[in-house]
Amino acid sequence: MTRGRQVFRFPLAYPLALGIALVAVLPVMVLIILAVDPATSLDSLNADLIINTLLLMVITVIGALGIGVPLALLTAYVQLPLGRLWLIMLAAPLAMPSYIGAFTLYAAFGSGGEIENITGIVTPSASGLFGAAVVMILYTYPFVLLTTRASLLSLDASLIHAARTLGLPLLQCLWRVALPRAITGMAAGGLLVALYTLSDFGTPAIMGLDTFTRVIYVEYNAFGLSQAAFLSLQLLTIVGLLLFLDSRITATPERPGRSLMLWPSPGQILCLILTVLPVIGLTLLLPLAIFTLWLLREGTGGFDVRYAWNSTYASLLAAFAAVLAALPVAHVASRGAFGRLLERVTYFGFGVPGIVMGTALVYVGLQLPALYQTLGLLVLAYVMRFLPLAVGSVRSTAEKLDSSLVKAAWVLGAGPGEVFRRITLPLSMRGIVAGAALVFLEGMRELPATLLLAPTGFETLSTYLWRVYEAGYFGRAAIPGLLLVLMSGLGLALMFSGEGRAEFATVVQKTDTKLAKK
Amino acid sequence: MKRRHFVKTAAVSGVAAVFPGMAGLAAETVASSAAVSVEQLPPLSGELTLYLGRGEGGLYENVLQAIENRNPDLNLSIRRGPTAALANAIVAEAEAGIRRADLFWAVDSGAIGLVADAGLVQTLPNDLTAQLQPTFRYSHWAPITGRIRTLPFNTAELTPGRVPDAIMEVPDSGLRVGWAPAYAAFQSFVTAMRLLEGRQATADWLQRTGSNARDYAGELGVVMAVERGEVDIGFANHYYTLRLKAGNPDAKVALSFTRNDAGCLVNASGIMALGNGELAVNFIRYLLTREVQNYLSTEAYEIPLVDGLALPSGLPDLKTVAPPDIDLTRLADLRPTLDLMRDVGVL
Repeated sequence: MTRGRQVFRFPLAYPLALGIALVAVLPVMVLIILAVDPATSLDSLNADLIINTLLLMVITVIGALGIGVPLALLTAYVQLPLGRLWLIMLAAPLAMPSYIGAFTLYAAFGSGGEIENITGIVTPSASGLFGAAVVMILYTYPFVLLTTRASLLSLDASLIHAARTLGLPLLQCLWRVALPRAITGMAAGGLLVALYTLSDFGTPAIMGLDTFTRVIYVEYNAFGLSQAAFLSLQLLTIVGLLLFLDSRITATPERPGRSLMLWPSPGQILCLILTVLPVIGLTLLLPLAIFTLWLLREGTGGFDVRYAWNSTYASLLAAFAAVLAALPVAHVASRGAFGRLLERVTYFGFGVPGIVMGTALVYVGLQLPALYQTLGLLVLAYVMRFLPLAVGSVRSTAEKLDSSLVKAAWVLGAGPGEVFRRITLPLSMRGIVAGAALVFLEGMRELPATLLLAPTGFETLSTYLWRVYEAGYFGRAAIPGLLLVLMSGLGLALMFSGEGRAEFATVVQKTDTKLAKK
Repeated sequence: MKRRHFVKTAAVSGVAAVFPGMAGLAAETVASSAAVSVEQLPPLSGELTLYLGRGEGGLYENVLQAIENRNPDLNLSIRRGPTAALANAIVAEAEAGIRRADLFWAVDSGAIGLVADAGLVQTLPNDLTAQLQPTFRYSHWAPITGRIRTLPFNTAELTPGRVPDAIMEVPDSGLRVGWAPAYAAFQSFVTAMRLLEGRQATADWLQRTGSNARDYAGELGVVMAVERGEVDIGFANHYYTLRLKAGNPDAKVALSFTRNDAGCLVNASGIMALGNGELAVNFIRYLLTREVQNYLSTEAYEIPLVDGLALPSGLPDLKTVAPPDIDLTRLADLRPTLDLMRDVGVL
């Protein structure tokens, strides 16, 4: 017990956070070293590329907020039958590689597409900026959904009840009373969407949209590693600007309380479900249906169910490790400017295109020869890539914590360890679970680091999907695609079950019993 | 729609087809071939790690599986990844004093150049390289199969006579062209043109062709666009057209070749031994057997590079096409090509 108090003493969080932030920024340092003396200059880049890149990013962020925020309200407050199943199905698209989504949408829509082949109905084709934005929105909105939901759930409902008592209609209450207080959650999600969009290559390439990442990929594939690194660093100037803008959005601390619960009528439930279904249909059912169609035409072969297990446990380990690493970083981020800077720094790696980041991670991994190409290093690589996902959601709920509860606990004689265990941790649990879920889902679809750093012969669902996609055996993507959704669902169910412990009532109850025992 | 046919043909043949019984083989094999049979090779035993740049059509996987099935004492570990990423990883490993890959099988010669220049490669024995056609003998790597640059054309719009037989005449032909400038195979072709015709002529060619060209992401896309009639001709490796036609014999696309210029360049995928001496070299011998070479030729329409084996059906005698004699390792010099393509605004 006494030892525990020592470990969680607050000043310790700073060196810990500093160490974690330095590790997280190592791959970016490698890029700086690799980028020296670049032969390419940017003057030959045309302005269209920058405009396309920024347009795609802005449209995707707006769209992801437009879908993610209402879904966050729905899954946070509305008590639907089947409860968390909806949340899991709506979060699962994050585990689907977006190039798979882009490819199936491209194949399904348009003249000569599968929808026309089967039904005879001509649909508009999905391509260009429009097609790329639709795909990016559909496969990034869960960032916003999960971070915003975590923020919404940590809000005390009494303000909303007060507003309603004073005659404000429910929707306006949500708009004017609930959402402004969840702004950090929305901003954290929006930032992740923007960074993901900036660094993605597959989707714009399939949709025929020319973006900055294409230039990076051309350089990389032409064995210009230093040029690719140099260009990636230039992309990071946009990332830096976004990080600065995002840091201007801050939250006011609030007292914790019971969150809002809404009980809709059966008619309303039906309406809500009918509005949600198209999202699930486009993100999960359509790709699986297209793959199944090809499966029926071509047959399958060569799949091993162990791949599903490999994906799942590597991603679960990464999720666990990432939230552990995120705790001190998120903690110092809500304590001052230096901590905030440490936190911001961890984001840069997420804005670097995957294949460049994968190579940077190879250089980092080679510094630990004993661990090179082992599962341990792969998990470390996931943590380095996806730490911002965990940090963002933990921070956005943690910084809303009112310090008076903590002070009260001190007054009552609790040491720092006990305060952390019994007050801070349970009250940040929403953000921790959301962060773990994001890291888990991104781990399930991660490709370049897995290809280069996993133990040799370690196949995952995402490496298998890539293999059959590259080879043109699209039918063989059906079963791994389905398993990807299933395993992600199971992983999420496991994580969200941890959320129950964060219920305010449970915390209060437990504290009461413990105090009574004393 | 055509994609489905294409995929279907690729998926039909399985692992068993790589090393069929001897009876089946005799009929196919050209009697005069110098190619070694898999029956003459020593069994492989021990540990080998192969870094495999993604394979065309997934058929490389079948070849590897068949070699493993034939050699139960061989413990083959495979790491798959994009060719450039694996080449970069091998170089990074070497800088850190670590070697994990015994073999590196790359889909283009640029990756081979990168690793060879880093001095990481074993010299191959003469009796192995001597099995290859004389123009494809390199001391540090073994080309496995080749692909030739072609001009696929739409058969509904054009007769074969309308397609230029010199690559430099394409801009004056007035035909609508489909190309994939960001694609590695296209960039290798432009590099060859730069080496053969000079920088200025290549720049002019790119600019003038580009004014009447449509961009595609890859060369399968180019061939499909030619077939649909979006463009009249395209620039693509030969096998996309042959695979498309194998799936759909009525496809409105056929192959045309230029003569003795960059437009009919033969490029190759290749393998190099990085370590584990004799075992790695003997593994390469398996890839050069007539069984594997014929399998890749009949199933993937790749050009066998071992001396004396038959071309995939649908290709004319290469003596009449007369591909340019160019050292493939020189094609690794991509940097000036990319600069050139950017200068004229096609990339």
